[in-house]
This record gives sequence, structure tokens and C-alpha cells, in this order.
Amino acid sequence: MKKHLLKILALGLVGSMAFAATGPDTYVQMTFGEVDSLDPAQAYDTASGAILENIYETLYTYKGESITEYQPVLATDYSISDDGKTYTFKLRRDVLFHSGNRMTCRDVEYSIERLLVTNPGDSAGWFYAESLIGYDGVNAKDYFGDNPSQADLDKYWEAIDNSVQCVDDYTVQFHLIKKDPSFFVKLMYTASSILDSKYAIENGEWSGTKADWYDWAGKDLRDGFLHTHDAGTGAYKLVKWDGKDVIAERFIGYWDYANKPQMKTIIIKVVDEEATRIQALKAGDADRITVNNRATLDTQIRGMANAKVIESDKWLGAAASAVFFNQKIAAADNPMIGSGQLDGNGIPADFFKDVNVRKAFAYSFDQDAIINDLYLGKAVPLTMALPPSFLGYDPNIPIYNLDMDKAEEYFKKAYGGQLWETGFTMTIAYNSGNTTRQTVAEILKANIEALNPKFKINVKAMPWPQFLAAYKNGQLPALVLGWGADYADPDNFIYVFYHSNGYFAKKVGYANPEMDKLIEEARSITDPAKRAELYSKVGYLAHDDVPVLPLPRPTGWMVLAKNVYTKGAPEGMDVYNNPMRSGSFLWKDIVKK
Amino acid sequence: MTTFIVRRLLQLPIVLLAISLLIFGMMQFLSPEQRAATYAKTEQQAKNLDLIIRQYNLDKGFVVQYTTWLKAVLRGDLGYSKQSHEPVLDTIRKKLPVSAELALYMFFPTLLFGVWMGTMAAIHRDRFVDQAVRVFAIVGWSLPTFVLAIWMLAVFYGYLKLFGIGRADDSIMVEFAKGTLKAYTGMITIDGILNGRWDVTYSALKRLVMPVATYTIVASAQIMRVLRSSMLDVLNSDYVRTARAKGLPERAVNLKHARRNAIIPVVTIAGLMFAFMLEGVFFIEIIFNIPGLGQWAVPAAIQLDFPAVIGIALLTGLVVSVANLAVDILYGIIDPRISFQ
Repeated sequence: MKKHLLKILALGLVGSMAFAATGPDTYVQMTFGEVDSLDPAQAYDTASGAILENIYETLYTYKGESITEYQPVLATDYSISDDGKTYTFKLRRDVLFHSGNRMTCRDVEYSIERLLVTNPGDSAGWFYAESLIGYDGVNAKDYFGDNPSQADLDKYWEAIDNSVQCVDDYTVQFHLIKKDPSFFVKLMYTASSILDSKYAIENGEWSGTKADWYDWAGKDLRDGFLHTHDAGTGAYKLVKWDGKDVIAERFIGYWDYANKPQMKTIIIKVVDEEATRIQALKAGDADRITVNNRATLDTQIRGMANAKVIESDKWLGAAASAVFFNQKIAAADNPMIGSGQLDGNGIPADFFKDVNVRKAFAYSFDQDAIINDLYLGKAVPLTMALPPSFLGYDPNIPIYNLDMDKAEEYFKKAYGGQLWETGFTMTIAYNSGNTTRQTVAEILKANIEALNPKFKINVKAMPWPQFLAAYKNGQLPALVLGWGADYADPDNFIYVFYHSNGYFAKKVGYANPEMDKLIEEARSITDPAKRAELYSKVGYLAHDDVPVLPLPRPTGWMVLAKNVYTKGAPEGMDVYNNPMRSGSFLWKDIVKK
Repeated sequence: MTTFIVRRLLQLPIVLLAISLLIFGMMQFLSPEQRAATYAKTEQQAKNLDLIIRQYNLDKGFVVQYTTWLKAVLRGDLGYSKQSHEPVLDTIRKKLPVSAELALYMFFPTLLFGVWMGTMAAIHRDRFVDQAVRVFAIVGWSLPTFVLAIWMLAVFYGYLKLFGIGRADDSIMVEFAKGTLKAYTGMITIDGILNGRWDVTYSALKRLVMPVATYTIVASAQIMRVLRSSMLDVLNSDYVRTARAKGLPERAVNLKHARRNAIIPVVTIAGLMFAFMLEGVFFIEIIFNIPGLGQWAVPAAIQLDFPAVIGIALLTGLVVSVANLAVDILYGIIDPRISFQ
């Protein structure tokens, strides 16, 4: 009996040995980080974006790897009025939604108006609202507070209603409140995906009329139908999202089915544990996996028989991060600034107001150490807080790097020499697990403490909720902040980092009227050459003023099964990688050889 | 006995209410910004943090928040989990069968293996078998689950390609997603049979081998140790000597007389073990990619996903209470001297 059982077991095992790789028309990707929402008007993260960009489409999109060249998708052509405030798009005919409904101008109008009506606080709606209706980019409920007057609401609705209009079934017009050179690229972000209005309304989404618009203002769209259902035109339609994994299937009614996508089924799996993803790749169960750091690539992936690492020095992503010097630290109950005074036991709230302190910190910062320790040599220093592929990035601006003599010189100049005499104590915090922030803090600590025994920097790890609260309340004296592009326009970075009203700059109390003037001018003109010139000036001014210290950008990589390629890859590469696409490339371009 | 069960069940709402009050109270020590952390995972997403705090009433006081929550619960709404991207109840409904299926398959091998080892060790006290079992138990017990799990994964999955991760083959999961396979119970090994598809059950069973083996090695040690020591006590007692003296075979003495009396502490531990398994065994679920409760609960707690945290706490309260009740009933069945007063 026992022998018999063993035999059966052995047979069963041998029978299952024939583990195949994923099928020839199935693509399995394993990543971490779950989709937040499949409602384009709610989703504002890359995991969601990577799905949305395949099941929905926008009017125009980026071409191949480029962020400055575009191609029409649901539109066929467009024009901009002379005053730069009216955009007219001709729409593609014979486009079917996954429901079978035909796309018309009505759907475009509904989609963009819905974005403006709902515009919940944690969505991307704000930057569309800023272009089309104003109101500080805030939805009506939050803008007017608890007791809005009917007149105010009517005016708000009218602004929405007027912002998008159908000229005929296949022509749509957008009316901007002022010239905005980035509006066209904003329309390429997934939030402005075109929805099947009929299908959405039938299933309980906003009616598209004035009747119930205010009920939808600021609403959390995760309660709604589109959170889990797809109303798009994309080459793939959603089969199911169970809150974790996503399964999608090739859409037979796709308008561009002539270029038939090779993959029939797409499976995006959330596998939180990296070791599991790596073993799945090895076993042939995954076509692409996310690997978090370069060291793992070298020790575990390279040399794997059925996998490949694709990388390029050009893959710098569409993001930038920098060390921020907080010029108005919140002093109340803040242990990070010690005594709160320049007495050696703390720092004053406006410690970083003195440009000499900022410069001294900048010269104490070892960019090479960051590049070598954190990124194993594969990173590029940034001259300004802007991705190098963006318009206006000026590679000629000098970079701060470790120079202990200069650091000492500026520390001695700071506060008329007083700082060098009394010394200071401060805390640089980072959220646990964030190795970039930790490394930056430790490098600053080591170099600055070496200059003067009276200088003391404590490095402290905090769980994310506490860190976020400290950040929100302005308690962090110096911190690393990063921004990922919402749309491919330099203003999306420059304003945030350098303008006194920009999200990050405001947070750390940086204000320079000269800087503001340059940035405002650059966002009010459309001529690319002129804008580039202005942004270069911004870069030089930022070098002199050091409001922030840009961090090096690591070069990117992708880990794929050996037989995975994409259409439209640049010469000599297996796949293309567009930094504005959350998933680097589109599913419809995947080819298995 | 019925009165006993009813009385215990009536205590349940009070227990759950106490749990909810306790957790709400604990949350009061956190600022609205901290409670909003689950809505903003980067500073970029925190751009409109004030609006987020307002939208979710995170700045309201204890009483307002608690009564709002309680009213919703009475309507059957436990709130929305940012971690699972759907309402808490839907998540529990979806994930409980996953963890339950895993628990069912892990529980019996762990229990039986533990009992067998414990019996062998006690009978062969201080001899080779005893030493071997004890070494095995110490190794198993001190081996971190995730280390063993990753090792299993590397050997039996990545290298030998014998077993898989997840719950079933991708093609089967696609069929479930499309609805060509019906998810009657949410437990794939059972749904396979109900759909008349043995390949489904087989695929799911094969994927249970590594998690079950890992858990058995790690957790059976506890059962073994408890049984061994309690059985050693019993083996030294008078009635066992009497049984031996009256000439009963050694096997009958050990199994019928000694073990049956020694098993009570094992039942206690096994009951709690099963309850905790139902909550999801985090490391097993994470490493073998099984989307059960543990995979949801742990990140939810770290991210302060409040509706999820309280939902999980209530579920835990429920499961532990029921498990305790079941254990108490089992005492009476195993040992008739115990009565339900």
C-alpha cells in the first residue's frame, strides 16, 4: 500500500514537471503596488495609470519614446486659436467603445466635464481645472465650503459647461481661461481619457447635466461604477480587477485592429515580495517583473537563462527630486530644531533663510557618494530640478559637489560668523525604508559634523504616517522631496519646485520675486525656444540662490523574459520606454518572439 | 449545553463593541494628518491633504467619528478599505475563503504531525526518537517562516519547477474572472469539484503543497511540545501504571489511556492556532502570493487604513470567540468529566 502511494505521488510530480512558460499570446507582469482606482477621474498613481493607458485612450498621445512628439489617437487633427485660448479637435469617426457604443463629441464633453465636476482632492483634476475654469483648481464643494450661495454655484457650473463644447458630432472645442502652453500635453494624461458617456450614465455615474452636478462635486469616485468597470475605447478591455490583480483581453472592435495586438490576454499581478517575483521569472511564470534595486539585478537576475535586463543611460524617467531647505520651520512642539535658537542646541525656525547656510549645506553634499553608493555608479547629476528630457533643461549650469573648503567658508560667513562660533543641532528625518532619504541624511551628517565639532545633525527614521504629518505641518528642517511628471511640460516641475506659490516651494517658504517673474512669463507664452531660454535663466538663478539641491537621477532598467519585445523599439533596443507612460510601453505593442 | 452556547453567543456583541471602542480610542492619539496617511503615499499625492482630511471627516472628534461609524455598521457598511480598494465587507467576503481554504489544508497536517511527534517523543522518552523529534522541533520552531518559505520557493519552484505560487494556473484564474468557472465557495479546491473540473482542484492542490509543508514544519513543533510534556505527566500517573499492571498491551495504554487524557492542552492550542490561521498567515500569504486576509491586514495596519483595521479587529474578535467556544465544547466531548455549567 505504502509503495503504491509513493508511486502515484512520484508519477504526479513527474507529470507536473512540464511547467511551461506563459503562453505565446498571454503576457504576465508581476509588480508591487496595487491599482488605486480604474476611474480615470480618480486615479492619480502609476499602478492605475499602467492599466488605464491600455483600456482607455486620450485625444492625442506621446509618440514612441518621445515626450515632445505626439500622435493623434481619438482625434485626427487639432488647431489652436491665435489668442491661445481655444483648442479645436477633429474627432476620429468609427471608434467603438468596449460596450459597442460609438464615440462622438458628446463623450468627450462628458469625460472632461466630469473631471471638472468631480475633481476630488486626491485626483489629478486640479491641473485641468486650473486651465479650464480657474477656482484654484479646487472642486465646487471644497471651494465654496459648507454654505455656498446658489449664484456662486450657478457661476461655477456655467464655467464647467462653457469650457468644453461640441461644435458638431465630431468636433470638440476647449475654452481656456488663459493661455496655457501645457494644456495640450495635459490632455495626454490618463485622467482625460474619453469615457463611454451612455454606458457610464446608465450605470449610475453623473448624469452629465446640471441637475445633479453638485452632488458629484468632490465625491470620492471609488464608490462608483467606473472604479471597477471599464468604459473605454482601448485596444484592451478589462475582464476583471479584483482589487489586486488585473486581467484584460484584446478588444476585437478596436478602431486600429488592422495593427492587431499580438497578446490576447494580459495579466498584471501584484506580488509584493520581490523574491517571489524573481522565482516566478525563473520558473517561466512571468514575462516582466519589477526589481527594486540595481544590486539585485547584478546578483540575481543577470545570468538567469530565460530572462534579460534592458537598460539605457537615456532612461532617466520623468521625475526629479531634491533636498529642500525649509526656510520657515514650524517651531511649536518641534523636537527637530532643538532649542529653536542659535545657541548650539538647536536652530532657529528661519535657519535656512541665510543663503550662506544653504550654500554651505550644498557644498557639504557628496553627489558622487550618492551616485556610487545608492545607484552603483548608474546615475546622472541634475543641474536643476527638471528631468533632462524636458524642454528647458540646461546641462551647462554648474553643479554643487563636495568641497569642504567652500563649505567651511560659507558656514563661517553665515549669521555674520556667529554660526561657526556657537554651532547648531538639528534633526534630519526620513520615512523608514526610504534608502535615498536615509543616505542623503547620513552623507550630510558625516560631512557637516566633520567640519566643526559644534555642528550636530541627528538622523531619525519615522514611520510614514508620522513623517507625513511632520511634513504636512512643516516641521522637517531639511528633507528630500520628489515629483513625478503629470504631463510633459517643464512648468509641471519648475512651478512646483521654484515658484513662491508652487506646492513644494511654498511648503518650505521659498520666495524670490525675480524667480517668480521668470516662471510666470514662461507659463504665459507658447514659443518653445523662448520658454527654454527662460527656464535656463531659472536654472542659473536657482544655482545662485540654492532653494533646493537637485539629486542625481538614476538610470532605469526593465527585467523581462527573454522572448519579450515591443513594436517601435529604438534601433538596437528590444523595447521602447516612454517616461510618460506608467507602464513604459503599451500592451498592444508587446511581441513575443 | 444549549444554554451554555447561547449565553456565550450573547456575549459576542459586547465583545465586538468593546473592541471597536478600544480601537477608536487608540486612533484618537493620532493626528488627522497621520490618519490621512493611507490616502497619500507620497508628498506629491499629499498636495491636497487638507481637502482629503475634510472629505473623510478625519478632523472630527471621537464622538462624531464613532457614532458615524457605528450608524454605518448598523446599516451593514463597514466602510471602504483604501488598501484593498473596495468596501471592507467585500474584501472580507473575498479573502476569508482564501485564508480559510489555506487554513483547512494547513491545520490537519500540522495537528496530526504534531500529535504524532509528541506521542513518539513521550513514549520513547530520552531515547533517540525523542532526541530527534526535539531537535526537529527546535529547528522548526526557531526557523523564521519567511526564510523557510523563500528556500522552498527557490528550490521547488524556481529550480525544480515542481510547484507553483498563487492559487491556481493563470488560465484557470482567467476562467474564474470571466465567469466560465463559478466561484461557489471561493475555495478553489472545492469550487473545482463543484464545477466538475478536477484539473482545477488538482492545480489548486498542487499550489498548496509548499505553503502547507512550510507551515507544518514551523508550527507543528508547538503542538508536539505541549503534547509531549502533558503526556509524560499522564504516563507517570497511577491509572496508567494500573493499566499496565493489568496486562493491557503497551499500544492501548499509550494511545487509549495516556494520549486521550493528555490531549486537552493540545485542543486549547489547536483552537487558537486555527483562529489565527483564519486571520491569514502573513508570511505564507506574502511569499507564496496567496491573496488572503494576512496579505491585506498587515499593510493595512502599517498604512493606518482605519476602516480595514477595525474590520479586521472585529473579524478577529468574532473568530477567536467562536474558536474558544468550539474548544470548550470539544473539552466536554473528549473528557466527559467536564460539564457546561
